[in-house]
Amino acid sequence: MNNNVEISVIIPVSERYDSVRDLYHDYKSAMEVSGRCFEFTYVLDGDFPEVFAQLRSLQDEGEIIKLVKLSKWFGEATALTAGFEHSSADIILTLPAYYQIEPSGISDVLAGMSSNDMVIARRWPRVDSKLNQLQSRIFHGLLNFITETSYRDLGCGVRAFRRQVIDEIPVYGDQHRFLPVLAFRQGFHVKELDVQQSSKDPHRRVYRTGVYLRRVLDILTVFFLAKFTKKPLRFFGLLGSGLFAIGGMLTAFLVFQRIFMGVALADRPILLLSSILIVLGVQLFAMGLIGELIIFTHAKDIREYTVDDVVN
Amino acid sequence: MKAGIYLSIIVPLYNEEESARPLYDAITKGLSELNFEYEILYVDDGSCDATFNVASELALQDKRLKVIKFRKNYGQTPAMAAGIDHASGEVLITMDGDLQNDPADIPAFIEKLNEGYDIVVGWRYKRQDKLITRKVPSVIANWIIGKVTGVPIRDNGCSLKAFRADIIKKVPLYSEMHRFIPAMASISGAKIAEIKVRHHARQYGVSKYGLSRIYKVLLDLLSIKTIVAFSSRPLLWFSILALPAVSISFLGLLVSIYYAFAQPSFSIVIAGVSILFGALAFFLVLIGALGELIYKTGDIKLAKLATLTAKEIS
Repeated sequence: MNNNVEISVIIPVSERYDSVRDLYHDYKSAMEVSGRCFEFTYVLDGDFPEVFAQLRSLQDEGEIIKLVKLSKWFGEATALTAGFEHSSADIILTLPAYYQIEPSGISDVLAGMSSNDMVIARRWPRVDSKLNQLQSRIFHGLLNFITETSYRDLGCGVRAFRRQVIDEIPVYGDQHRFLPVLAFRQGFHVKELDVQQSSKDPHRRVYRTGVYLRRVLDILTVFFLAKFTKKPLRFFGLLGSGLFAIGGMLTAFLVFQRIFMGVALADRPILLLSSILIVLGVQLFAMGLIGELIIFTHAKDIREYTVDDVVN
Repeated sequence: MKAGIYLSIIVPLYNEEESARPLYDAITKGLSELNFEYEILYVDDGSCDATFNVASELALQDKRLKVIKFRKNYGQTPAMAAGIDHASGEVLITMDGDLQNDPADIPAFIEKLNEGYDIVVGWRYKRQDKLITRKVPSVIANWIIGKVTGVPIRDNGCSLKAFRADIIKKVPLYSEMHRFIPAMASISGAKIAEIKVRHHARQYGVSKYGLSRIYKVLLDLLSIKTIVAFSSRPLLWFSILALPAVSISFLGLLVSIYYAFAQPSFSIVIAGVSILFGALAFFLVLIGALGELIYKTGDIKLAKLATLTAKEIS
């Protein structure tokens, strides 16, 4: 591995891809503007024969491209992680395998790295359809509301960050999308930069319902990871005690009616509802306690703080 | 462990630029008559004022002062955990960075440790705080904490505490557990003593606490209770929790039988409730079994903790 490499460019090929050859040359000339030493790593997330052939022919032409191929489709986060492991530079730049931004914007992103730990691109001004923009608005509105951050384009694959960021924050599944949120939580400086959206980016983007559902679940996962990893009982306990309280009050009301107003308890189906609420509340609470046990027994692995500097 | 250092003083600092220097002076003065090596660890918990600059200036003049700077604000427990991780003394003392504790009390702590105790906690017997918002909730909270954890300490909130390093380094510290270190340590059978300490009113800066934490403390307390209870008799704790559910279920069952035989009608509702709570009891016992599994596969073993405090008697 070349140790002089300053920037590792990682391009995961996971679902969508444009002409490999054109894109590579565009990216490469944009990188050369920065005047720094860089390397290209393509990660194929499963079988992409067409991409593979084109990359091979580029290699034959003398282009220095590192090629990592996963044995099957694992998802973009895993592809990225594989790319990180096969690269050596201190600064990592991930780029999408299709035209998402105008490649000329890359130099701005790299320039931003001098004062930040992570720079993410935001496609602005948008040239794609109003429907896409609306989807994006709703998604980010929800995310920002829940995680108390203010990112506006986590769908953009153009991101530069220090290796330290990825060393400290393991991502899996679809979580790479939320890397800026997690990095910010970990105390890194994250900056969002406006970059011209590519005119070739606006494809149709109406996904299957399953995809939308997964996004919402992802937001919940990130929210849970960011806020309650070390205190599961705060989360489950709040939900559990809430349900328990509602169920308890309902039951108390029924008992009051039984004793003072002579309404028979035996034929009140609502008693079942109140009991179910109590039972559910206790169960959630018990799960929170189990969560606490897991944290306690693994507390030695959880180092909560990150040290910036030590004097003496 | 660095040779020679006997005592490490750990001070978490969060926006305490005025206090950092007077505190350093007070500590060095308070320890001037003791004849052993010590170090001071300032943990700057991501302050946004000049705390780190003031502290590192001091550190340049005195090699005994070590400053650890966090990347962002993490809270008091991680700050203490970092101090404990970086400390190299045999005895660790934690104290507040706001000058409310008096470093002149430190020799008394060491004396007490030498009497054979593993942990010595301070008791601010003349507390200089507001009565209604600080003192009264504190008395109630300490009473509850003592009852629940079985470690009766009059002042859990006092940061001035002394620990034997080999024990405290093994006690897991996370979330906001610093209030419950004595309870956590009691799992290992640590001997805990309490001594009276002086307490000064806040001179600089503003207090970083409010009443809002009561709910959090209560939940934390329950976690601690579970952890402590689990460490001795795993299944028992959840079985105790299941007891009310079992009794409700049993009661419902009796009523259902009574209805079925003595009355012409049969109550589906009562039977349903009975079955529901029966299932809950079953669920809780199984959760207890799951907890057992987690405990078995976890890193923290009770037997290992017990050897920390075991003493050979010849």
